[in-house]
Amino acid sequence: MSDLGKLVTMSNAYDDLLRRTLSGIQCDLARLIYLASTRDYNSGMYHHEGLAARYGPESARVALRAAHKDIFYRLVALSLEELVTELDTYVRISREAPTGLIHAWQELEPYRVAVPMEVDSTMVQLFLSNIRLALEVLRFRQEQSRAYPSASSLLPLLGL
Amino acid sequence: MISTSIFISAAISLVLLLLLTTSREDVEENAKGGSPGPGWRDSRDALQRPELVFRIFSREDREFILHMRSPRLQRIYQEERRKVALHWVQRTSREVSKIMRAHRLLSRESHNLDVGAEAKLFVQYLRLQLTCGLLVLLIKTFGPHALSDLAAHAGELYQRLGRALPDVVAANRIAASEDTATH
Repeated sequence: MSDLGKLVTMSNAYDDLLRRTLSGIQCDLARLIYLASTRDYNSGMYHHEGLAARYGPESARVALRAAHKDIFYRLVALSLEELVTELDTYVRISREAPTGLIHAWQELEPYRVAVPMEVDSTMVQLFLSNIRLALEVLRFRQEQSRAYPSASSLLPLLGL
Repeated sequence: MISTSIFISAAISLVLLLLLTTSREDVEENAKGGSPGPGWRDSRDALQRPELVFRIFSREDREFILHMRSPRLQRIYQEERRKVALHWVQRTSREVSKIMRAHRLLSRESHNLDVGAEAKLFVQYLRLQLTCGLLVLLIKTFGPHALSDLAAHAGELYQRLGRALPDVVAANRIAASEDTATH
């Protein structure tokens, strides 16, 4: 296959991944974790059965890697407030008890393995730091809602 | 006058010390076998991303945390941002040193060096390193928002001075007129 042909196949694989798989996931943080889960821990290589069957393993790998980086960049560019909203959405769609999930994330830091390879190290530091802060904010909000249950029900009305 | 020169020399010594620490870290990193492959591309990416700097020193994030009214959250936020800001400054300083070292090696092989341009480049390099050293000092001492805080403080002092000045001028005029009346 020519270089142009390869590029077209990779581009089609990328579009397919966005259209069929990633659009069905509700938030960017969940997309990032999903894409990281398609990467082998030992080799760092991405793999997706469906994409590989349609476009070949190499094009599927390139598409997954590119989508992983793109979503990571989008998350790094978010303000802290937006990231808190993103994390809150992730907690809600995970169907886990929010307190348990926040505690596990603070203890185990599983989001560290969701970072793509070969990205700017300051970006990685900022992302990890912002996730830690977002977790603290969610924990603080939970503590507030436990301490003042009636007032916390008004927070959404106040836009907080 | 003496105290000012002592202060300036102390500040310069501190900056030099910080620069020395940064360059030592650089040497250690190279000794560990920091590959010039992906890392090199990585560094160029970082230097081309002003929005990253904007995010690190974002006032929006700080206000969001202040709005929470939690001293604990504010402390964690300050600490987290301080770490990221220091990482960025020290890395920028290291990357520039690497670029200068590569340039120096290339220059050694060159037969027609433009001395003026080289001197200008070196002065720019020193200015950048000095700025990085000062930033490290400010971030470590006053936190990641030190510069904006200092600027805001200067603005506040300026406004206070502006408000106080007409009163002082008026008081001086009254004192002067009283002096003239008594003589």
